[in-house]
Amino acid sequence: MNWDRRAFVKFAVGAVVGLNASPLVPKLMDDVAIWTQNWSWVPDPETGAVAFAKSINPATQTGVKARLVKARLSGQRVIRVEGDPEHPLSQGGVLAADAAAPQQSYYQAMRVDAPMVRKEGVRGRVAAEEAVQKVAAKLKALAQAGKASQVAIIADDPFSVTGEMLMRLAAAYGTPNLVFMPSAKQTLALAGGLMFGQGDIGFDLANATYTVSFGTPLLEGFGAPVAVRKAFAAWRKDPMHRATLVQVEPRSSVTASQADLWLACKPGTEGVLAYAMANLMIQAGKVDSAAANAAGFEQFKALLAGEYSLEKASQASGVPADKIKAVAEGFMKAPKAVAVCGPGNSGDPGRLFDFMAVLALNAVKGNLGKPGGLVLRQGVAWKALGGPLDLPGAPRLDGGGKRIMGSYSAYDLAAAALKGQPYPLEALIVVGCNPAFAGPQAKVMRQLIDNTPFVACVSEFMDETAELADVVLPKASFLECWGDCATPYGAAQSFYGVHQPLVSALPQTKSAGDWLLAVAKLLGGKAAEALPFAEAKEALAARAEGLGGLEDLAAKGYWMQEKPAYGFSFKTPSGRLELAPSALGKPAAPAAGVAPSKERPLLMAGIPSLRTGAGGAPMSPYQVKILDEITLAHKDQLVVEINPQTAHAMHLGEGDMVEIASAAGKINARLHLYHGAAPGMVFVPVGLGHTAFGMYLKNKGANFFEAVEVAADPGSGLPQWALTPVSIAKAGGVSHV
Amino acid sequence: MATHGKKQDNRSPADWWLFVLGFVLFAAVGFWATPAILYAEKPQPFQFSHKLHMEQVGEGCQSCHAFREDGSYTGIPSLEKCKECHGEEPMGETPEEKVFSKDYVAKNKPIPWQVYSKQPPCVFFSHAAHVANAGLECASCHGDHGDTEKLRTYEYNRLTGYSRDIWGWSLIPLDGPPKRMKMDDCAKCHRDNGVRDACFVCHK
Repeated sequence: MNWDRRAFVKFAVGAVVGLNASPLVPKLMDDVAIWTQNWSWVPDPETGAVAFAKSINPATQTGVKARLVKARLSGQRVIRVEGDPEHPLSQGGVLAADAAAPQQSYYQAMRVDAPMVRKEGVRGRVAAEEAVQKVAAKLKALAQAGKASQVAIIADDPFSVTGEMLMRLAAAYGTPNLVFMPSAKQTLALAGGLMFGQGDIGFDLANATYTVSFGTPLLEGFGAPVAVRKAFAAWRKDPMHRATLVQVEPRSSVTASQADLWLACKPGTEGVLAYAMANLMIQAGKVDSAAANAAGFEQFKALLAGEYSLEKASQASGVPADKIKAVAEGFMKAPKAVAVCGPGNSGDPGRLFDFMAVLALNAVKGNLGKPGGLVLRQGVAWKALGGPLDLPGAPRLDGGGKRIMGSYSAYDLAAAALKGQPYPLEALIVVGCNPAFAGPQAKVMRQLIDNTPFVACVSEFMDETAELADVVLPKASFLECWGDCATPYGAAQSFYGVHQPLVSALPQTKSAGDWLLAVAKLLGGKAAEALPFAEAKEALAARAEGLGGLEDLAAKGYWMQEKPAYGFSFKTPSGRLELAPSALGKPAAPAAGVAPSKERPLLMAGIPSLRTGAGGAPMSPYQVKILDEITLAHKDQLVVEINPQTAHAMHLGEGDMVEIASAAGKINARLHLYHGAAPGMVFVPVGLGHTAFGMYLKNKGANFFEAVEVAADPGSGLPQWALTPVSIAKAGGVSHV
Repeated sequence: MATHGKKQDNRSPADWWLFVLGFVLFAAVGFWATPAILYAEKPQPFQFSHKLHMEQVGEGCQSCHAFREDGSYTGIPSLEKCKECHGEEPMGETPEEKVFSKDYVAKNKPIPWQVYSKQPPCVFFSHAAHVANAGLECASCHGDHGDTEKLRTYEYNRLTGYSRDIWGWSLIPLDGPPKRMKMDDCAKCHRDNGVRDACFVCHK
């Protein structure tokens, strides 16, 4: 044998084939793939027994429990967030915004992960001390110049510990201009205060057998949404004892579609129908004694008999008389019937007249303080963070004192400050909310931010407001810090929920309370004295003393009034129910509301959805994916609903791209013809159309609040944007990509 | 043509045996070299007789490898579990138990066992679902481990860090459990028994 080239090639080929026939190559390939699992940055869950910690999402007031590894309650990744079956409100249920969304938002690229300061127009990261120093120095300089009252604060929730800390800080610093985002809680408290002398009231939905909801999105974001849905599920559980739900509103909404009967009324006539039903009950002689003995009953009776007869109400509301009568009879006969008022579909605080009409209907029915009726709540016995502070003497920009009960209004504050009457703003601090997006009239709020020389905000995300601010302080999410929330709108029992740190906070984030304490400390003097806490947890602990201590509260996750308090008392000047409240001197009556005009022939209202915005929190990226084509077409076109008759009269068709313009602003959208939409109206989904938040949320549809025009409610004086007169014109362009 | 024929005759014979030699030699190198390169041994902290312990306990494997109240599985027993029977003084005469008592029980130090069946962390495996619900025997996946007198040598993959038991001791992946615990084996058993075998069943 010659060991020549050919022999070598044969041997070499044999060797290569032989080596490949051995497991060396496939084994190594497989192992290399597996090796990638062990790179140091690939997350590796801890092993150990599973433990649970209770928490609450303050945005939706859903009780959740976090599944985690035992003995590692903080400073770690939560395995997952799930519903807490022991939670009395949500009973194990969650919304899309409660479970996966906060975890996804935690890692979202648009989270503010470091304090930021704008220098010469460019925003850059700075150390926490520098950012806090900048805010404190500005506030100090303004106070020294006697301009403390020219500082305004806009925050999200007056009932949270952060809200109370803000009240103390504002008072000690010397500004009367602390406002919170508008809420239906304000209107209900006003209505209750006027008629019962008590504003802490709720609806005992869980025990009701006949519920009439007057224009409020009962299943799409009312109070604690999961709790309301649980009550609804219980109504439907037993077919033999099925409770009845009647929905009164101009659009066939989710609530209307789930209701046993939908009264498709003309926009803004919900209160008229409540009065008409009360009138039918009075005529039938079915009046509860408390109502019959009420202050102003005769006046009330005469008003209803004259102005709210079945025929007149039917004509005004467009609801057939027999249907109004059927609901009134059903309501009258049902042993446990309740009429419900609440936030409007556009997310506004509601009209005072509607609320008072609904409360009057409940009073005539005689369900006050009865199971399945309207109940007084016990109240949350938290301990105040300190003694009362003197309120600054300067007039409030929002004119709060001029309204019946001195309610706050962020919109009025902005409008007055922009006019400079009585004075303009020198600094604005925004805590935990996004007025540049959610307005309510987004453009006005943006103008306020633009016109105010110094704007600081405490925000979890780089949202529309944060993008415009001079200083941005990164806020921790509810899974990262201590905090609380109190009784949801309309709940029958008083409630207090606590959340605690369950995941390691991003290194530079803090709770809003901790940022406030840092600023107060640098301000020194009265501001520091008003908040004598080293950290926000201490303030929470001080508050929780009245509720059994923070430790027990945190372990359980909540405090709740044991059961609804049945029995009712009136604290009005007359000591009785006041159907003609002393403060008004007559029964509530609707004033001329928003009406369409020749230039703006349609009325725009919102479509609330737990998908597009629960509790004002931004959607998480995956929530955008679950929107269907009749909310967001082709991933980026907002879809609005219009009645086919209205569309045809305006020569518009399905899929047309239109411009919806109000006196305040305009938005572009794609038309969807929907028989469930009231004629003469256009319905716009609320919560889409962000211009911030990066690729997942930015430019997905258009923002309802860009076209909203705020008007003052004639009754309460609170901002009102249930209906906005708009015009619609074809905008051209194609409706598909 | 004649010239061409002559040239062919002069060429070396078709030495196909050289091809065979190369094939056999290097296939053998592959079979021999793969485990030699890839696997390393790690000693167990001390020897342990499952057989001896099985004779002493009343509930078989479950006596020490138990379910927690919440349904999760303890896996290798903690030192506290051992201490339910063992004190600082050895119960028997074996040198292994002396090491155990002196170095671990007395010092209250957890025993750093090398776990043959430890799966990658990206796998979610519920013992409750397989043992309590599906009624599988421990031996179906773990083999006769419970009857052995000695712990066999623990080998791990230098590249991945996982126990050799996962890929299996045979280099040719033809075995199934208990000789191997690869993903394919889980999937096959799921398929054979009509259980869902989608990715997210195990990879959460």
